[in-house]
Amino acid sequence: MTQELSLEVNGIPARVEVDADEVLLDTLRDRLHLTGTKRGCDEGECGACTVIIGRTPVHSCIFPSLAAAGAQVRTVEGLAGGGGELSDLQRAFVDTAAVQCGFCTPGFLMTLTALLESEASPSDHEVDEAMAGNICRCTGYSAIRAAVRSVVGEGGA
Amino acid sequence: MTAVGLGTPRSDADAKVRGLARYGVDYREAGMLHARLLRSPVAAGRITRLDVTKARSYPGVHAVVTADESPKHRNGLILFDTPFFAADTVLYEGEPIAMVVADTPNQARRAVEAIALEIEDWEPVSDVTEALAPGARLLHPDLDSYEILPGAATWPKHGNCGGVLTSDPGGVDEAFQTADVIVEDTLEVPRQYQAYLEPKSATASYDGWRWTIHVSHQFPFQVRSRVAQAMGVTDSRIRVVGHHMGGGFGARLDLGLEQFAAIGASVTGRTVQLVNDRDEDLISTMSRENATIRVRSGVTTDGRIVAREFECLMDGGAYAGDTVYLTSIPMFMVASVYRVGPTRVTAKSVYTNTAPSGAFRGVSGTYICFALERHTDRLAQAIGMDRREFRMRNLFESGDAMLNGQTLDDAYILREAFERVEEVAPWQGVGKGPLKGVGLAAVIWLTNPLAGSATLSIQQDGSLGVSTAATENGSGAVTMGVRQIAAAQFGLDAEQVFVTAPDTDTQGYDAGSQGSRTTHVVGMAVEAAAEQLKPRIFNIASGLLGALPDDLELSGGSVCVRDDPSRSVPLATVARTAFGLGGPLSATGTYNVPLPKWDPDSAEGLLFPVFPVPTYHVHLAEVEVDPDDGSVRVNRYVVAQEVGRMINPDGVYGQIQGGVAQGMGYALWEGLETRDGLYTRRTLESYGLPLAVDVPDVEIIILEHPCEAGPFGAKGAAEPPIVPVAAVIANAVSDATGANITTLPIDPEEVLEALDERREA
Repeated sequence: MTQELSLEVNGIPARVEVDADEVLLDTLRDRLHLTGTKRGCDEGECGACTVIIGRTPVHSCIFPSLAAAGAQVRTVEGLAGGGGELSDLQRAFVDTAAVQCGFCTPGFLMTLTALLESEASPSDHEVDEAMAGNICRCTGYSAIRAAVRSVVGEGGA
Repeated sequence: MTAVGLGTPRSDADAKVRGLARYGVDYREAGMLHARLLRSPVAAGRITRLDVTKARSYPGVHAVVTADESPKHRNGLILFDTPFFAADTVLYEGEPIAMVVADTPNQARRAVEAIALEIEDWEPVSDVTEALAPGARLLHPDLDSYEILPGAATWPKHGNCGGVLTSDPGGVDEAFQTADVIVEDTLEVPRQYQAYLEPKSATASYDGWRWTIHVSHQFPFQVRSRVAQAMGVTDSRIRVVGHHMGGGFGARLDLGLEQFAAIGASVTGRTVQLVNDRDEDLISTMSRENATIRVRSGVTTDGRIVAREFECLMDGGAYAGDTVYLTSIPMFMVASVYRVGPTRVTAKSVYTNTAPSGAFRGVSGTYICFALERHTDRLAQAIGMDRREFRMRNLFESGDAMLNGQTLDDAYILREAFERVEEVAPWQGVGKGPLKGVGLAAVIWLTNPLAGSATLSIQQDGSLGVSTAATENGSGAVTMGVRQIAAAQFGLDAEQVFVTAPDTDTQGYDAGSQGSRTTHVVGMAVEAAAEQLKPRIFNIASGLLGALPDDLELSGGSVCVRDDPSRSVPLATVARTAFGLGGPLSATGTYNVPLPKWDPDSAEGLLFPVFPVPTYHVHLAEVEVDPDDGSVRVNRYVVAQEVGRMINPDGVYGQIQGGVAQGMGYALWEGLETRDGLYTRRTLESYGLPLAVDVPDVEIIILEHPCEAGPFGAKGAAEPPIVPVAAVIANAVSDATGANITTLPIDPEEVLEALDERREA
């Protein structure tokens, strides 16, 4: 049995049929074809599936799609500006080599975008704490911290 | 300005931060079907009933494939011990027994649950001790009759040992008699899961004769030959196409799911995608093997190591995989770094009823280094000598040889690395304080050889295309290293070079991203191709410029007259002119690393004989232990690493920081322990991966000694930073607490007990 779900994804209204027990990650990837949001574990542990609902980062792999009815959802595909220019944080990830395999990158970008929207100048420790729900197996986190530092240094996300 | 040595961003970073990079799991085809495996729920037993009738009738199901519908022969990397699907017996939890192919993943899942499976449980052979005990049940009673890789040398194997390496050059017992003190240690390490973030997947289609398989894999040509072998067809009937890869770390070097997707495609005539859930990925992936190590050395009171004996039991799991090769690794470590006198080595790859183990970055080296460097500390302490001073006294010098007889002509770099570490973290100045400690370890590691190739094409717009089956596993070896080497060859910026994804139909052979080989080997292949193209470019430009070819150079996207840069012609013009002068500017280069000399009689069962293009590494850590919970905090971590020449500093630094983080995980939290053959930690969360809060910014010292046969002097850099980490941290924790750390991950309880003992003393 499917149900109709209306929500806004990256500023664009979307209306899709979803299964009653479907999670938001599947709706985004399989119905809206936004495959930038990644599935790493299905258990809310790795953070690769992180999206922002309203102003809050959530693990979309354990978030029921129907609970997102009427919500404003942002995914990694929505971070760049209308002309395609990267956000400051995306730009910083490229410039500080915070990307290696890149599979965790969308999740980190969403977690940290939400952090910088709520706290313009987080300390290193606050950044590390905010990233406690995101796993990166490649970088050892140092370059990701550096990316955030460079954005904070510029005075905004 | 050359493109080499710059921190140029990787070419795939932009697509990755936009979420537009397509990984193996993102690959889609219209009308694609979805498969799911039925895996063994038990570690060992006999299949008494497998009835798929009901599952076949389930909605959306196109096929159920079992051993009955699959090739009957066994396959393997070097030892052909692995069945396509388990037929009669199951030998590990997670072993594939059947596969459902259906319209949707959920339909496949429900049909798998409808398969009637009954297994007569056996008491599993759950560890190497049980496996080697007299009368142990043999996992492979027909071991002697198994085929091996054509052309491979034979090696000793028997009972539950898939491979045995023995090296006994003589004189060991006599040398022990000259020792003042003999110290023996036994150490034990669990498995380590690679925990790449993208679970394994494969998507296959079939046209009646050939299969096309889309993967995210470190070694597409290995997929090709291994799927061909498993299906019983020739290699060229398989095409493998690579996509972005969400990490590999060695876990994507052998077959994963590709053979199952392939048979699903040929049975149904449709495109079939198979993706692991995280839990099945964790229990079934070939993780770094668990091992038991015994090391015994004799030392004199004036601080010389005079004799050594080393024994290593590697748990290969139910099928041998590459652990048969890994038994050779001790030959490059046990009597290297330090002079240790006559040395005897035994290493065994042992069958148990656990998932097959296999390659993980720093194969076997992480725990061999842990064992050896813990032992080095203990030797120093046994004669009351400072641990660093003891190391310096026994340190290898140029011209010393490893146990395989391979001479190290540049071993002097080890001493330089120790001295550079001393400059930033003076031994007498770190790790001071009641709960602090300092540890030190060194290692020599290889740049993996094996053949590679690359095709360069100067485009009509003057840019350069590099087509290679080398894979970008995330390290930057292709998107930074190979790309920048190619750019520098033609005086281009890296931004003017693009690299293509692997496709075994259109590219020459490459042996995959393993052992830090890509930048070195494929970089050399790029140079070989450039050497073919440059004379043509200069000849054509010579005609266009009215100058001698020898007076020309490539710079800034143009061909210029060396002494008169105002006379130049754009590379684009040269490329277009070439069409009418012999054809497009395209050439393929190939390379393989010349193997150093070794002594084939140095060991029996030496299947992996040399450590080519060695690099030198010294690590230091300062730790602090928490007296309340026994946890360990790494305050400082210093790496001195020799890399030949650094092609991209951001790339090299990123590999070191990331490798250290993985090593910290191994030292302090990670580990797949088994109980009765079953893993006890079965989710990413319980597995214990390092988080951002756990990992400090590593202090990195790069030593550059360009190697003659290397692209701009580059050696391998990506693999080794993980190797000494557990050793260094364990030594530091022992220093901080007095605990004799012999197991990983380091147990907080052991730390607390040691602190208690110290307080009472």
